[in-house]
Amino acid sequence: MKTINNPIFHFFLAALTVVCLPLFLRSGVLASEILIFGLAVAACNLLLGFTGLLSFGQGIFFGVGSYVAGILLTRYQIPVPLMLLLSVVLGALIAVAVGWLSIRRQGVYFVMLTLAFSQFFFFLAYSFSGLTGGDNGILDVPRPVIAGFDFTNLWSYYWFVAVIFLAVFALMLRTTQSTFGRTLSAIRENEARASAVGFPVRAFKIAAFAISGAVTALAGALHAMLIGVAPLSSIEYHTSEIILIMTIIGGSGNLFASLLGAGTYMLLADVLSTIWPRWLLLLGVALIVVALFMQRGLWGLIETLVSHITATSKRTPNAATERPLHRQADGGKA
Amino acid sequence: MINRRRLLQSGAIAGASLLLPGLAGRAFSASEAITVGIPVPISGPFAANGKFASLGGILAAEEASREFGRQVKTLDLDTEGKPATAVRKVQDAFDNNGIKLYAGGILSSESLAMGKEALRRNGVFITTAGADEITGTDCNAATFRWSVPTYGAIEQTVRPLVDMLPDAKRWYTITPQYVFGDGLLNVAKDIFKEKGIEHVGNSYHSLTEKEFSGYLTNAIAARPDVLLILNFGSQSSDTLRQAVSFGLKNRMTILVAWASGLEQFEALGPDICEGVYFGAQYWHGVDTPGNQALVKSVRERFDLTPNYSLAGSYILTKLLVDAAVKAGSIDGDKVAAELRGKTYEGLTGEETIRAQDNQVIKDYYLLKGKAKKDMADKDDFAEIVSQGKSFLSPEDAGCKMG
Repeated sequence: MKTINNPIFHFFLAALTVVCLPLFLRSGVLASEILIFGLAVAACNLLLGFTGLLSFGQGIFFGVGSYVAGILLTRYQIPVPLMLLLSVVLGALIAVAVGWLSIRRQGVYFVMLTLAFSQFFFFLAYSFSGLTGGDNGILDVPRPVIAGFDFTNLWSYYWFVAVIFLAVFALMLRTTQSTFGRTLSAIRENEARASAVGFPVRAFKIAAFAISGAVTALAGALHAMLIGVAPLSSIEYHTSEIILIMTIIGGSGNLFASLLGAGTYMLLADVLSTIWPRWLLLLGVALIVVALFMQRGLWGLIETLVSHITATSKRTPNAATERPLHRQADGGKA
Repeated sequence: MINRRRLLQSGAIAGASLLLPGLAGRAFSASEAITVGIPVPISGPFAANGKFASLGGILAAEEASREFGRQVKTLDLDTEGKPATAVRKVQDAFDNNGIKLYAGGILSSESLAMGKEALRRNGVFITTAGADEITGTDCNAATFRWSVPTYGAIEQTVRPLVDMLPDAKRWYTITPQYVFGDGLLNVAKDIFKEKGIEHVGNSYHSLTEKEFSGYLTNAIAARPDVLLILNFGSQSSDTLRQAVSFGLKNRMTILVAWASGLEQFEALGPDICEGVYFGAQYWHGVDTPGNQALVKSVRERFDLTPNYSLAGSYILTKLLVDAAVKAGSIDGDKVAAELRGKTYEGLTGEETIRAQDNQVIKDYYLLKGKAKKDMADKDDFAEIVSQGKSFLSPEDAGCKMG
């Protein structure tokens, strides 16, 4: 169990996924979307799984990134690396503003505030149609050509996304394993105690929001370049909902679980939507099952399976010591 | 999804993608199948429209197979009503299925995005979506539109109704606050000004609004002779339903300028629709050879009466296949060249695809809801009061094809 919860192992799994997706999927768009939403879900996970903040505002940051890409690339022809940097900065700044106001309340009021911000930003985008294209979105968002490397082809763009994904994933893993990350987990477990010990809880939460907003905006910008459009739907409440559902399906508190959740959702949606028009019903059933029986998501299921297999194969007294390790590994929530 | 797993992708994909344009660029043989992608929302809130659109495509493909003696088929692409998903499905269909002909796109946002994708990859996309930009400011050589834009919809509903009701001098409007709604409203205002009509008020509402009682109360307070409803889909149904329950039908004439057609009548029922005027792109009761043949075919094949979604998808698919066969190719530029300037016997009578902006010039209809006792059959909800063609010039619509 120690092995599968090792961050290096998680990075190995993420890298393996990046390499394997082109081998198993015919669609370069779908493969790229899995990685892009993997980033957005990992950012959501940083808030939900590591800090204990259930945010319905992730769509704001995704939409902001999408619009930054749309506006800067179609109207100002700004180089893609600079555009990505600006989307990250703007995503972080807006996340700080949203976080700063939202974390003043806890529990359901916090959730309602993020929901209200989500609606607020949607209507901003909808109302300022001169800037955002309104309901039609911003069309003709180009894919990058950087230093002679042409990423306009779908699969070459996939590798462009893959490199960014792995770099950001590694940084996020490092963040969650750092003192900062451990402190976020402490806040999640017992905010009053963390505060009493002397941690500036509010500052930590805002910082978590900033990182989450930056990464989600980056994902939004990559997505706009992938599909060639920055649509209004990117900033809709529904985007926040999807990101949250992916996070819960994958399992919170573990970054590779985010990629697992994003991949599972996107693949299921892709397959089921061609089989049955009411496939969203199945998604509802899946969520109910996860909520009732798999509260640690798919990753939790994998952990349980590995735990059983290890215990069965060893059949030694040492197997009994696995449980405490397991409890420790996922924050004592098993 | 998992067909070609094994080795390829990493290196081979690059090679394959280089090869693909060469393969797709050639003329097809007489025995080769033609596949038309039908990108429509098959799941999600607009799934009902997508289901009928799929049937329309299937019917057109079956007829074309018989007519041309070659396999013609459709591939449904579920857009879920989202532009992002729509573009992804179309990109995949280009890459994985080699499809270059697309007929669909019910929502404007997804249609605009798919049209751009078709242009980028030398395909053709034809749609029934409503946004003026499709054959206006965002027109492009690969995108065609069968439906009448906002200008014609208002010209063919408000103007005839003004002429029919010379004493109705006070009009009130309810408008969704975005480009489409403003497009309809501006044309209506021009007609009001020209005809000396007093525009006694307008209520703007958001695209997500479901409760219209506040706007209807404002309308009652303004004491108009006519209530002009400028929203569409479920919002126009909700507005009308609530207007009737508020008793507005007895106090004023109601016009829904952009109705969805038979689907909407079925959802509302004759009690609500009776005496109400509706603007429509298509009606199954249209007395043209093309429409009569379609109604007959749909009743025989699917045991139902064609609605706008089905009829629209049928004619879009038919136009694409006919053009591809005539061009001897599925390449976008060749098929588009066949479509441009074409005049044909369509569902609404003689229809022409205007070469300058790829807009189909066709009739728009003003319908009036019938009383239940006057309905000849379960689908005979309305009579056609007037019909005609009104279109801005390509220059006035803002189309610069380049």
